[in-house]
Amino acid sequence: MSRGSSAGYDRHITIFSPEGRLYQVEYAFKAVKSTGITSIAVRGKDCVCAITQKKVSDKLVDPTSVSHMFRLADNHGCVTTGSLMDAKLQVDQTRKEAAEFKFDHSYEIPVEYLAKQVADRNQVYTQHAYIRPLGVVMIIFGVDEEKGPQLFRCDPAGYYVGFRACAAGQKDQEAMNFLEKKLKNAETELDDNETIQTAILALQTVLAADFKPSEVEVSMVTTAKPRFTVLSEAEVEAHLTAISERD
Amino acid sequence: MTSIGTGYDLSSSTFSPEGRVFQTEYAMKSVENSGTAVGARCSDGVVIAVEKVYHSRMMMKGSLRRVHFVEKHIGVGIAGLLPDGRQMVSKCREEATQYREVYGEPVPGRVLVDRLARFTHLYTLYWHVRSFGCSALVAAYDAEGPQLYMVEPSGMLMRYNACATGKAKQQAKTELEKLKLGELTCREAVTELAKTIVNVHDSTKDKLYELEMLWVCEESGRTAQFVPQELIDEARKAAEDEKDREDDDDDMDDA
Repeated sequence: MSRGSSAGYDRHITIFSPEGRLYQVEYAFKAVKSTGITSIAVRGKDCVCAITQKKVSDKLVDPTSVSHMFRLADNHGCVTTGSLMDAKLQVDQTRKEAAEFKFDHSYEIPVEYLAKQVADRNQVYTQHAYIRPLGVVMIIFGVDEEKGPQLFRCDPAGYYVGFRACAAGQKDQEAMNFLEKKLKNAETELDDNETIQTAILALQTVLAADFKPSEVEVSMVTTAKPRFTVLSEAEVEAHLTAISERD
Repeated sequence: MTSIGTGYDLSSSTFSPEGRVFQTEYAMKSVENSGTAVGARCSDGVVIAVEKVYHSRMMMKGSLRRVHFVEKHIGVGIAGLLPDGRQMVSKCREEATQYREVYGEPVPGRVLVDRLARFTHLYTLYWHVRSFGCSALVAAYDAEGPQLYMVEPSGMLMRYNACATGKAKQQAKTELEKLKLGELTCREAVTELAKTIVNVHDSTKDKLYELEMLWVCEESGRTAQFVPQELIDEARKAAEDEKDREDDDDDMDDA
């Protein structure tokens, strides 16, 4: 990587470097990793489950006021990784999209379409100089009326992809490796409990530590109960116990 | 710390190679240059205290307002660039008015600070504006009970049981962590917060200072108002006496 040739504007605003790279977009990815948090989401046969770390370093903060899980529409939710304030802005804009779609078309916005809107908006930020890309990876999931449980990952580059399981944040690569081994078989379809436990186990493995229910946030949508819900500490505790008993 | 500035700190719309937005971080630094502000959520309300440093004896007491009121039940304490703080308060008042017009009732604290945080955050995205150089401590008492929030220049918003910002925030935080907030009443908190500020105050650099305090509690009828001056004076005197006594004890030990 020749630093010399890129001493110009390509590092400051989103224009191409001589090697054809968009440095500002790459730095936005770094911003996502720099929060030190990892999030994981897994799609099972009838549900999607997401888990993220909850790190509140200040003892005086009320932990219920800090959350990275957001409801986007009745049956759509997301987990954001990266700058919380950039995330809130993006969630706000996405909620508006979802509500407008429902108003215009009388049915819930398809998950893929919602993810596409987020991605297209992110792309605009990578092409305009006056605004920087947002330092957020948004993992959107929901129960689609036509296609069932869906999981999409939208990143600052304007890229969106559907997944069976995905991760974002500091240890995303390790998490993806773990999940690929678990879901090697394309026909593997996990039931609700297995999905939640796979997500929890993945996070425990990449963090190489056990955690308490208060240190994570878990949310899910299921075909039986499509409403986006955040699990209570007791429910998370039950799953953690189930995992440790299994081992 | 690599790449302090070196070109990545010229605008809010630039990420550094580590993914940091330096302009916003510098805005947070400017808060650290101002007098300390502390807040505590007690069992019956919220108290906010700010250390108002006067740079000249000519300044009139009561000027350089750092404590402002929005609606009847919300008070805001500013740390950092005070003119920027006035803008934030102005925005709060606009939002509160708009909420009343649309929903017919006073804005809940939670909604107001959310709007303020998003407003502040917007200024960290565009290159033709700079971030706000101030943090706002917001005290509210509504149907959800007493709440204390802090909005930082980055747009970060969190709800606190107690918080501190400004020059001596680390020291102040340590003192606040020792308090049993769940059991304190606002009257007691006035004394405790005065003590905290007196203890962290740097008397070599900033000789003249005033304590400006606001509270919103049962005693004030859930209205945000200045803490009565007599209470502040009493609390400050008690704290300063205690500090003098401790200093004397230290001197005697050394001798």
